Amino acid sequence: MIDQIKQQIERLRARGATYVDTRWYPYEETNSLLMWNGNLKDTSSSRESGIGVRVLYKGAWGFSASSDLSNLNALYDKAFDNARVAAERVTFPVRLAEKESIEAKFESPSRINPFEVTLADKVAFLREMDRLLDQPGVTQRVSKLDFRRKQIIFVDSEGSQIEKVITDVFAGLEVNGLDSEGGMHERKFNPPRRGDSRGWETIDLRYFSENAERIVRELKETLQAERCPVDDRSVILLPGIMYLQTHETIGHALELDRILGYELAFAGGSFVTLNDFGKLRYGSEKLTARADATLLNTPGSFGYDDDGVPAQDNLLIDKGILVGAISGRQMVEEANAKARRAIFNGSSGANRATAFYRVPIERMTNINIDPGNDGTLEDIIRNTEKGILLDGDRSWSIGSNREQFHFGTEAGWLVEDGRITRPVKNATYKGATVPFWNSLSAVGDRSTWEVCYVANCGKGQPNQIMQLGHGVPVCRFDNVRIGE
Amino acid sequence: MREKILQTLNELRIYALDKGVEVSLYFHEEDSYLMRFANSAISLNTNEHLIRLEVTAFEGNKRASYAMITDLDKVNDMKQGIDTACEMVKHVMPLSYSPTVPVYQSPFIDEGNFDPELAQMSNEEKLGFFNQVVNGLETEEIKLSGIFSCGANTVAAVSTRSAHPFFVTTSDAQVSIVLAHSALKWEVQSEQSAQRKTDLDAAELRAELVTLLHHYTHDTPQQIPLGRYDIVFGAAAIADMLNFTSFIGFNGGLMKRGYSCLKEENIGQKVFSEQFTFVDDPSRRETFPFRCDLYGIPRDRFPLVENGVFKAFTWYQDDADEFSQSPTGHTVPHHSLCMAGGTQHLNTLGDLLKQSRESDILYIPFLHYMNIVNPSKGIITGSSRFGALLLKKDGSIVVPYNVRLTQSLLDVFGDKIEWIAQDTLPYNTSTSYGARNPTSILVPRFMRVNDLEISLSNSSY
Repeated sequence: MIDQIKQQIERLRARGATYVDTRWYPYEETNSLLMWNGNLKDTSSSRESGIGVRVLYKGAWGFSASSDLSNLNALYDKAFDNARVAAERVTFPVRLAEKESIEAKFESPSRINPFEVTLADKVAFLREMDRLLDQPGVTQRVSKLDFRRKQIIFVDSEGSQIEKVITDVFAGLEVNGLDSEGGMHERKFNPPRRGDSRGWETIDLRYFSENAERIVRELKETLQAERCPVDDRSVILLPGIMYLQTHETIGHALELDRILGYELAFAGGSFVTLNDFGKLRYGSEKLTARADATLLNTPGSFGYDDDGVPAQDNLLIDKGILVGAISGRQMVEEANAKARRAIFNGSSGANRATAFYRVPIERMTNINIDPGNDGTLEDIIRNTEKGILLDGDRSWSIGSNREQFHFGTEAGWLVEDGRITRPVKNATYKGATVPFWNSLSAVGDRSTWEVCYVANCGKGQPNQIMQLGHGVPVCRFDNVRIGE
Repeated sequence: MREKILQTLNELRIYALDKGVEVSLYFHEEDSYLMRFANSAISLNTNEHLIRLEVTAFEGNKRASYAMITDLDKVNDMKQGIDTACEMVKHVMPLSYSPTVPVYQSPFIDEGNFDPELAQMSNEEKLGFFNQVVNGLETEEIKLSGIFSCGANTVAAVSTRSAHPFFVTTSDAQVSIVLAHSALKWEVQSEQSAQRKTDLDAAELRAELVTLLHHYTHDTPQQIPLGRYDIVFGAAAIADMLNFTSFIGFNGGLMKRGYSCLKEENIGQKVFSEQFTFVDDPSRRETFPFRCDLYGIPRDRFPLVENGVFKAFTWYQDDADEFSQSPTGHTVPHHSLCMAGGTQHLNTLGDLLKQSRESDILYIPFLHYMNIVNPSKGIITGSSRFGALLLKKDGSIVVPYNVRLTQSLLDVFGDKIEWIAQDTLPYNTSTSYGARNPTSILVPRFMRVNDLEISLSNSSY
């Protein structure tokens, strides 16, 4: 098959294509189980295979995909024809940043292949979780397992050939309950990544059991709590909401395709301009953010992106100053040309597609905030005069240029004079992105740092879902409006 | 192609019967094309041809499913898919209720909403359409973005309970055209949904863009003060809010689980404005309808709200099975949601701008990134985007920076409605996450709602 792919690539090169690549998925398989109030509502598996072809012709992209591998000529011709028509409307001919020709293999670390674990063992885990969550006050309880495994073979016209085998395990718990006014509240546990692997071994029964009991306890506290006041306070974000704050207002805002206007018809743009790199004070000096695709245990690590560029660890924000972006080979060339200066020194290795039938676009890897020097969570609470401690994502809405946001959280506890006083329900906070990050007044140490994952980040047209991670510490922001 | 699909499904059905297993088979084929524009260029031109088969196996109260991307020629692979689902179902635990196996009492074949002229539009035609809309509107700074998505979509199903097949094929197109200022970062947009090629109207798209461009290029943008405003929503914003209302309002399963802002005792009560009528109407071809659901239940006009009175919850088959309710024929990839027009004669944005007004009116055509803040109260939040205008009572027009609205849907569609435009149009709400599922909601062009609070106002774009 690889020889046939190489022949097709050469054939299109001979027709005038300046670049061709192919992602062949020999397989991508999933297995999902969902237990809801004791009922195993979903037990499903899937398997797919196919091929996606990307062609660059006269500065324009064409793409075509099919699960039918029996007529590669037609598939490659279709991709070429799509590029040929696209070349009729080119304003900035696509150029690709230099990269080395690579022959490599990558396999995500996994000690126990989740697809070799019996269905009975998976169901037994869910039954045990359901038993633990089945407590007075809990009206809905959900336990879920989601396993993914795929093999991708990447071949391009520049001589690269890369094979990847990626395995991921996603598991989560959720409880819901009604307060005295009939309002629904929720509390979830989506386990932070621990250890150095991504297989079934991450399903630690004891760890899940402890957290099942915790989320039930915290839900009950919320159900009994008073409403969150409308107020201006310091907000202390635990990793369970800090990851989303980072995702929405740093991650998406720094995708270079968004900055260059390639998502304007749908996902939106970014308040960041090319002129801001190296100058914009994005946040306080306590803020250092990076895109690190080299962490071992998260879905934001993949060895090589779908441009064939090796995974990297790049600074995005250095002590508050914007210095980097999430990029692929195409966008860095266009950005440097439009800025008339070399902002970026090559691709940051973040071009990924969700499936063989989608085209790679700039996607987050692991967008992390470095731990700080403001101590433990207890230290931060002790040093907060008037605040609120928040955790768990309940709702999120962000302005189209990522310039402002409104988040609702599952849990909130008021902090007065250095101690937690009482829980509140329906906690929310909102703000404008740059002033908010500039109000960052405390960053927790390594003990507060957790790697959270996102299993369903949506972007692009045609739409794509991507999996990624966020390593984040506890952070405190001052003078934030809450409760609206 | 229909015959080959049905023949294949029948062969798989016979295979399952011979094995003595109970299965339902769900087939989906898409031929999708998407031309995407950005920075005044075609940034991507793509197509996918994909066939998916999902096998659901039943064994008493147990159920398991297996899905695959395949080809019609790979019948043996599909048979292996049946084998896999049947092996899985042996090892799952029983549900506390009996899941229904689909039964089609008679063949259901619907090809009436397929227009080959639309499904097979060439690359050159799509590019020509875009060029026709935006000819002369682009500048060095004002750049074109958008999509032209079109394709053919086929859904077919059969089960071991009956030899009769279910087969629906449709054509669809979604056009979204954005003109954005590359430095100032404002955006204006015009959109269209088509089920037939003749639904496409370049002149109408162009007229709306021209009107918005006039204001966005001539008027100075302003940060408007926080506070309460009388708001006219455009079709996109109305459709988005209706989608959310349908999700956290009318879904019986979610109501039973506590996620709904409506309760069982609300049935028969006036909950919304008397001007608000909202139905699921599969007779409207613009909604890419399913006239029969995937369990064989014929789908007819289903009132959700009539003149403000909440009429009924919708029940998906699985929820109906679990909660001992009667299914309402809503187990389909999407519903045919239609909001009735009102009495206000406003056919275009130009008509709205020319209308005399006794107070300032904020026009919000589109709500970006809406999300549910509190499902029990129906509270959602989202930001304005794509061409908001502040229509001053003195007749002048101001371009506002984007604003955030955090509001209960029970208020938005409640007694605060001042008027609803008479004219309705299909607003395309398709997404392409996973399998193609062309969807649109029939909505009034405009709806005015008074006294809504703006909770955040941007100081720039």
